[in-house]
Amino acid sequence: MNAKTSKRLNMKERYRIMTRDLGWEPSYQRYEDIFPQEGFEGIKITDWDQWEDPFRLTMDNYWKFQAEKERKLYAIFDAVSQNNGQMKISDPRYLNAVKLFITAVTPLEYNAYKGYARVGRQFGGVGARIACQMQSIDELRHTQTQIHAMSHYNKYFGGMHDFPHMFDRVWYLSVPKSFFEDASTAGPFEFLTAISFSFEYVLTNLLFLPFMSGAAYNGDMNTVTFGFSAQSDEARHMTLGLEIIKFILEQHEDNVPIIQQWLDKWLWRGYRLLSIVGMMMDYMLPNKVMSWAEAWTMYYEEAGGALFKELERYGIRPPKYADQTVIGKDHVSHQAWFIFYQYGHATAFNTWVPTAKEMDWLSEKYPDTFDRLYRPRFELLAEKAARGERFYNNTLPQLCQVCQIPLAITEPDDDTLLSHRDTVHDGERYHFCSEGCRDIFHHEPEKYVQAWLPVHQILQGNCGGADMEKVIGDYYRIEMGEDNLDFEGSAEQRRWAAWKQAV
Amino acid sequence: MSYQVTIEPTGEIVEVEEGQTLLDAALRQGVWLPFACGHGTCGTCKVQVLEGEAEVGDASPFALLDMERDEGYRLACCCHPESDLVIEADVDEDPDFAGHPVQDWSATVSAITELTPTIREIRLRLDGEGMAFQAGQYINLRVPGVEGTRAFSIASKPAESGELALHIRKVEGGAATTWLHEQLEEGQRLALSGPYGQFFVRKSDPKDVIFIAGGSGLSSPESMILDLLADPEDTRRITLFQGARNLAELYHRERFERLAAEHERFTYMPALNAPLDDDAWDGFVGFVHDAAIAHFEGRFSEHKAYLCGPPPMIDAAITALMQGRLFERDIHMERFLTAADGAEGGQRSALFKRI
Repeated sequence: MNAKTSKRLNMKERYRIMTRDLGWEPSYQRYEDIFPQEGFEGIKITDWDQWEDPFRLTMDNYWKFQAEKERKLYAIFDAVSQNNGQMKISDPRYLNAVKLFITAVTPLEYNAYKGYARVGRQFGGVGARIACQMQSIDELRHTQTQIHAMSHYNKYFGGMHDFPHMFDRVWYLSVPKSFFEDASTAGPFEFLTAISFSFEYVLTNLLFLPFMSGAAYNGDMNTVTFGFSAQSDEARHMTLGLEIIKFILEQHEDNVPIIQQWLDKWLWRGYRLLSIVGMMMDYMLPNKVMSWAEAWTMYYEEAGGALFKELERYGIRPPKYADQTVIGKDHVSHQAWFIFYQYGHATAFNTWVPTAKEMDWLSEKYPDTFDRLYRPRFELLAEKAARGERFYNNTLPQLCQVCQIPLAITEPDDDTLLSHRDTVHDGERYHFCSEGCRDIFHHEPEKYVQAWLPVHQILQGNCGGADMEKVIGDYYRIEMGEDNLDFEGSAEQRRWAAWKQAV
Repeated sequence: MSYQVTIEPTGEIVEVEEGQTLLDAALRQGVWLPFACGHGTCGTCKVQVLEGEAEVGDASPFALLDMERDEGYRLACCCHPESDLVIEADVDEDPDFAGHPVQDWSATVSAITELTPTIREIRLRLDGEGMAFQAGQYINLRVPGVEGTRAFSIASKPAESGELALHIRKVEGGAATTWLHEQLEEGQRLALSGPYGQFFVRKSDPKDVIFIAGGSGLSSPESMILDLLADPEDTRRITLFQGARNLAELYHRERFERLAAEHERFTYMPALNAPLDDDAWDGFVGFVHDAAIAHFEGRFSEHKAYLCGPPPMIDAAITALMQGRLFERDIHMERFLTAADGAEGGQRSALFKRI
């Protein structure tokens, strides 16, 4: 037996031949000219041979496996569409979570595909280049399979018809867009620290699991199956995230403070971005999975806490402002939903006041905050709506210069006071939602002064003029009365009722 | 009913209990396999069954495709052996691992020496040819009246293969070590198996070596140092940090002081963390990792480090070494776990593989 097995190439040898062995030493070009971005962030790499491949999948096997996964996935999509899968969901309000996903998350996958293709080119180490190449192709696959998973619903429901256009223009979608473009316009090592480590490794369970479990609890077979298919790729993305951070920290001690600054920045940025996931979990899922606060405790405080404790051995401390995220977990989903509710005329999905039963669930999950702060607000809104005075806010909010979220989030030490910071740079005053975002600005002001802030752009007349109906309808392509407004009385509600009567 | 699983290419062996997954068994027995999600959806822990039968379990069809199932691939996190197995996992063979075969042995207790108030040395004369082992490895000892086996590192050097020395600390409330301290007599017969373990000197790496030992964790380093110093070709510098509570618990001090006098390349640094007034101790006072920091001025890069002792000492030593810029690939360890340590407390991330 031993004689027989020793003739096979083991995984390590096979991987070496199919990947690292493909590299070569440049002879007639300078290394710095071939990899011009490797040094400019200040990261010092002394020996790429110390890179430990986070996984050993070779490209020939990659195509074979991915093709097989696609066959399985598309067989399910076919079955769902042949069986009128849109009728099997728990409640038409659930589809709003899908609309949020296709407009806010799927375009991020596409940006990730572009990002990994770009930065992979910049690394002198073959192992890192191959890992980025594979992830780049994965991200393109995720973009495509998400679009296909959700296209079935697009045939029957509103709000999904123009998602790439909306991603580039709509006010709340500038939050994920600016997040990713911040990473994509950084250097290659910051991009991997931001996306591979902070997002894919530390925070991914707070993005994917809520959406996938939400789909599973609400009868959305397409999204669940896409999720399983993607998760088999995500493991590679997570291990790449871990390897990059270890590799950079071990290469040179001068890298430690640079990484620390990036972790402080990207975990704060990620936390702010995930506000929309929190709101989705607590308010948009008819059948709930778990509360945002529970998810934050489990995946960030416990799992992330264990990770940061181990990272201390490298001289890394927990991210700055981590304590504020723990305070914020009891507030952020309620405050985010209230923002969307009041601007529900400018959203590509429906909004609503939670039902009495849903409010009881929120009271149970948020014993310290919901009854004291948020229930009275939603009860007043329900009362007004019942009187025919559904509240829409017709003013435009101040946005944070960094995360681009409206300044409608409270202070960490006073949950009755809105948090607002500002700074003057080059004679102009800039506004922020928090100290975390202001720190990020101070570190690279010349980057963030260029931010395309949707409210500023409207006020400058760059979004179709002074008439908000034109901004929403023509510039955003949100169809008034069809895609937006309250769920009560919406086109979706009428259609659902008509179909359910017909069967 | 349990099955024995041999993991290629390292040749490590784990026992998998009924109802236990292969991954769970391996991790609990200190054998690292790559893994991530732990519940069959990611595929990171994929292994191939070369011999034997194993049930697939609850693996996602996307993480383990049909064609892979047909070729004998399984996910270690959800597969259950149905016979003894030989599997191939994505782990690296250590070029310094000699792979001496594990065998069952009978032995006679040839000598018992009290080393400290809590630690005694037991010498076991093996029947037959003698055991081929690498300095640093351990044996599993069967203790009469105690279920299962107990692991003890070999403190003697491989050249003396017919008689093994073990350093045994009496664990408060521990059935096996209490018996070995209170009942065992010279001339008694004991059964054991071995050699086991991945704790041995990576001789192919010429860097200078640091040993950090606590309590009866001196055993493996003692064997490794005797082995290295016996090699006339070997020139690497060796530094041993030995930690004990007080002078009475510090054993083999004279032996190592003599070795340090004989060998210019060997340095011996004992540390007591709670010396008694009567000890009149003029050496280092504090924990053993602090002694290492003081001696190397906090810089450990360009070394190989070998740690052996109780888990808190190991953890403190790893932190000290990493903050001094010595990383996982150059740190090797043997944790002395007792029932009192329980399952290693607290959640762990996937950041480190072996430390």
